[in-house]
Amino acid sequence: MILLIQYTLIFAAILSLVALGGCFSEHSGVINLGLEGVMVMGALGGALTMKSLGSAPSAVIVIVTILVAALSGLAYTLLLAFACINLKADQTLVGTALNILATAAATVIVKAINMSEDSSNVSSTVVYTKANHALTTKIGGFSFNWFVAVAILALILAYVILYKTRFGLRLMACGENPQAADSVGINVFKMRWCGVLISGVLGGIGGIAYITAGVSQWKFETGVAGWGFLALAVMIFGQWKPLNIGLAALLFGFFRALSSVYSGIGWLAAMKIPSTIYVMLPYIISLIVLAFTSKNSRAPKAEGIPYDKSTR
Amino acid sequence: MGNPYAIEMVHITKRFPGIIANDDVTLQLRHGEIHALLGENGAGKSTLMSVLFGLYQAEEGEIRKDGKKVTINNPNDANDLGIGMVHQHFKLVQCFTVLDNIILGVETTKHGILQKDEARKKVMALSEKYGLKVDPDAKIEDITVGMQQRTEILKMLYRDNDILIFDEPTAVLTPQEIEELMQIMKNLKKEGKSILFISHKLNEIMEVADRCTVLRRGKCVGTVNIADTNEQELSRMMVGRDVQLVAQKAPAKPGETVLDVRGMTVASNRHKNNAVKHVSFEVHAGEIVCVAGIDGNGQTELVYGLTGLAPVSDGSITLCGNDITHAPIRKRAAEMSHIPEDRQKHGLVLDYSLEDNLVLQRYWQPEFTKGGFLRRPAIRSYANRLIKEYDIRSGQGPATIVRSMSGGNQQKAIIARELDREHKLLVAVQPTRGLDVGAIEFIHKQLIAERDAGTAVLLISLELEEVMNVSDRILVMYEGEIVGELDPKKTTTEELGLYMAGAKRQEAGR
Amino acid sequence: MKEKKSILTNGLFQSIVSAIICILLGLLVGYLVLLAINPAGAGKAIQAIVKNYLNYPTKMAQMKYLGNTLVKTAPLLMCALSINFCYKVGLFNIGAAGQYVVGIGACLYGALALKWSWLPCMLLALAAGALWGLIVGLLKAYRNVNEVISGIMLNWIGLYLVNTLLSNVKESTSPYTYALGKTNKAAMLPGGGLPAVFSNNGYVTIAIPLSIIIAVLIDILLTKTKFGYELRATGFNKEAARYAGMNEKRNLIMTLVIGGALAGLGAAFYYLSGYEQWEVTTSSVPGMGFNGIAATFLGGLNPIGTIFASYFLQHIMSGGSYLDKNIYPSQIADLITAIIIYLCGFVLFMKTVMNRMAASKNEKKLRRTGAESKKGGEKA
Repeated sequence: MILLIQYTLIFAAILSLVALGGCFSEHSGVINLGLEGVMVMGALGGALTMKSLGSAPSAVIVIVTILVAALSGLAYTLLLAFACINLKADQTLVGTALNILATAAATVIVKAINMSEDSSNVSSTVVYTKANHALTTKIGGFSFNWFVAVAILALILAYVILYKTRFGLRLMACGENPQAADSVGINVFKMRWCGVLISGVLGGIGGIAYITAGVSQWKFETGVAGWGFLALAVMIFGQWKPLNIGLAALLFGFFRALSSVYSGIGWLAAMKIPSTIYVMLPYIISLIVLAFTSKNSRAPKAEGIPYDKSTR
Repeated sequence: MGNPYAIEMVHITKRFPGIIANDDVTLQLRHGEIHALLGENGAGKSTLMSVLFGLYQAEEGEIRKDGKKVTINNPNDANDLGIGMVHQHFKLVQCFTVLDNIILGVETTKHGILQKDEARKKVMALSEKYGLKVDPDAKIEDITVGMQQRTEILKMLYRDNDILIFDEPTAVLTPQEIEELMQIMKNLKKEGKSILFISHKLNEIMEVADRCTVLRRGKCVGTVNIADTNEQELSRMMVGRDVQLVAQKAPAKPGETVLDVRGMTVASNRHKNNAVKHVSFEVHAGEIVCVAGIDGNGQTELVYGLTGLAPVSDGSITLCGNDITHAPIRKRAAEMSHIPEDRQKHGLVLDYSLEDNLVLQRYWQPEFTKGGFLRRPAIRSYANRLIKEYDIRSGQGPATIVRSMSGGNQQKAIIARELDREHKLLVAVQPTRGLDVGAIEFIHKQLIAERDAGTAVLLISLELEEVMNVSDRILVMYEGEIVGELDPKKTTTEELGLYMAGAKRQEAGR
Repeated sequence: MKEKKSILTNGLFQSIVSAIICILLGLLVGYLVLLAINPAGAGKAIQAIVKNYLNYPTKMAQMKYLGNTLVKTAPLLMCALSINFCYKVGLFNIGAAGQYVVGIGACLYGALALKWSWLPCMLLALAAGALWGLIVGLLKAYRNVNEVISGIMLNWIGLYLVNTLLSNVKESTSPYTYALGKTNKAAMLPGGGLPAVFSNNGYVTIAIPLSIIIAVLIDILLTKTKFGYELRATGFNKEAARYAGMNEKRNLIMTLVIGGALAGLGAAFYYLSGYEQWEVTTSSVPGMGFNGIAATFLGGLNPIGTIFASYFLQHIMSGGSYLDKNIYPSQIADLITAIIIYLCGFVLFMKTVMNRMAASKNEKKLRRTGAESKKGGEKA
């Protein structure tokens, strides 16, 4: 049971981090469908850092890894921001391209590094066994993952930033009615850049949190298994509001956790449901949830529409 | 500071590829006056304002504030000079509160956290001073259009602007709200604000303005003192010729009932209430029935219910003796032509060619389709005929992409398509919206010709003049109900206004 | 006023130029990556990618490996057509990848477990893809679910289902399904005399000409028929389509069903050639559906253009296998493809630039003639 809670928390943390990223981007008016790719890039940056830090002090590992993952995600979203905001490219196409590009690029990079270290090693796996223990701390029998703390912090910050600050007010104005924002002197392009870059930071952290959740090496050819999109489903279910996103993430995280631990829970294991069902569960749940929440969604009104000054 | 002008735009010329939008235009706004800017759609009013707000840079001419030359590169510069504008389409964030909308862009913060208390005090004070009643905590999406406009005005005042521009502010208001607005404008003038009032409604200009500058086809026709002029002269200046302000028509000869609506109810997709509540009326062959009302009182949904764009939740609709309450759109269209409210949203596929749009309601008929394949030559020759008959002008004839055509010609294409096909009933929703006087005359003539040919015409209009001039019978809609049936020959604009505002209603003996 | 229009504003010309720019930039970035990994062999490596089957010295071998490239082009083209078709109706069918996967599951299950012959297997794949498309369509039409997100979810659900399903027909010693040629020869697509042309490459089947014919048919369907007229109208303006009495919900669902069928068929075109066996431990959705996005946009969203774009992309990807594996990861070819997709996002921008260039040229011309007639015009 403790294991179930532990897993639920860490999966919920990952989903809420990435979903909050999507939330900032969409509140600024840009749909970031490239979150999946951002996660991969964050994971790559983080994993390589952990590999090189090896057995440094725990605090150093945690902080530096998070910083590098965030920066990697941020750098990667520059590609999205430039294409979608400045050149008004199709946001769906660019997001998709970034997802594909991330996996291909991460694979090439990791392989190139592996090959340069040992010419017979052509795998796309990064091993970070030594540093991985730093990410969790034991509280009794409960192993607490630092990313859970980061996610909680992010949720609180997101709430304050969106609803209590000038930045949040302006950001949301750009996603709802960019013409109105522009007419009162707000630089829509700048705000959208901010929104997208924040999504890069959060997506990047979510990425490293994802691959380190329980395993000590990651094969980059596999990407992040649609978790960027699951996070978007969480965001929609959470109606673009930070606190709701946190709750939605808990629900999704729970179902994902079930698939990891069901065999250890007597009565669930006894039901002999094929393991495939558990693996598919988060995806199926998200389809169902979307079917019931998409109809009256309160998505930012101007999301997905490139801002064109001449349409004022 | 001996200069009498708050802001001057002198010899402004702005060219776009192919046209000169402003040709040597001079506009001088005095301190503390209400100055009207009059012109038809496309006369260059919006371009001139865009130049003033730095959205466009003029090729020639200069802008002066208090006699000193200034450069305006963007709306922020204009704001710094104290210039504010109430746009025709409000620039408000729907899901924000009134207060948030007012402070947006000029927020006060402390340690990065928004401080709204002082802002609230200032807004309340301003609202008191100028008689601008608003609830600062209401969300924009929940308040009336009039209150939204007051929010826009407060936005300018909150920023201490002293040059206020109103762009067609009365288009969305009831006659009574218009009265209030006129009073507000006069109050503002009394407090020393200078006001530029953009409009094409002559009576309003006559009532409130001190001076008036008239634009026609990008050129400045002249500036006159309102005290020395009259509506006839202004309209001649605006159009360049004497205008038939009243459409010529013979009395109607109503025939059998074509459309019979009984207790129709349509749900709203914006709020939980019904948008149309138990509405009953008839339209006969050979008459024009006009549904009048302020925008947003259920007219759109009434049309959606009639044409099948939205489901009818209660009541019945009978067209030519057939019950069409729940019939699919195409079945209704067999006897009903529909000129939609929003030509770009519903009426046209903008990225299709003109010919493809002209067969939009008929492409499936044997004349244009055989064995599942489109008969291109037939479509081409049909399109050529309509283009000629209705004088639709475009760059490349039937192959022109409709997006590249002017609004007037887009509307003509819809009218040609809807009038040329078989129909007993014509539903025309704001068919003259955004068109110039020439096009309006053309469309009014077409509607009357339709009527005289025995078609039942249901016209939905927001323009009082159009309602009074064109219709044979007026139904007034207020909050989803028909609150009165009036005879245009026996009623006055004032009475009509009272019905539209819900201040007066006939009890349902209907 | 029949003025000769600048070639710059010609749609076809613009599409071709944009595609070439995307390709060249993509290759350039690929080259830079190669340089970064190992400067010494980079020039040779990029040549190897671009040459693909031409890396072989003999005509015989070249034809044989050209055949292999074509075998993989057919499914890519089908996925691209699926995405292209849906995009015309305003839908981004990223679920093509999942429709392709369930197509694989269906045709292999039909062939290996049910021992059907090739035609019913092919139809089963088509039906499976169509079903997967149908789910996306229903969710979109009736529940307003974003087709990209539901598509992705179904991709993963499809992948896990197919892994489970095909575990029943896998070799006992490997994670791969039975080899088609040994288990059920009747399920192999017929060659139709094509293998002879490609140096007896038995994988070359009627799938290749079929996919090209389907591309042409899709083009005709979209531009010449009543159904195509409706679909494109729905894609451009859903509201206007409704206004004109088209059943936009049905059209939307039909589109995704057809799109799904195309992708499912693509799976049969590939897996019934026997070229590849399915690995039941596959942990990521096959890239075929995603690469289809690249082919579609590179082909200027035109079914005929997509034929060429699909071939080109497959050519590059197959070329990736000729890299020296001791120095360069073969995924560089995937990287190039991904960059090309990204650059396709800029096509609109490129076209705008070309239009602007044409306009400024025109204006200059106008101004020159204007100045002459007016004598002594204004500032230049």
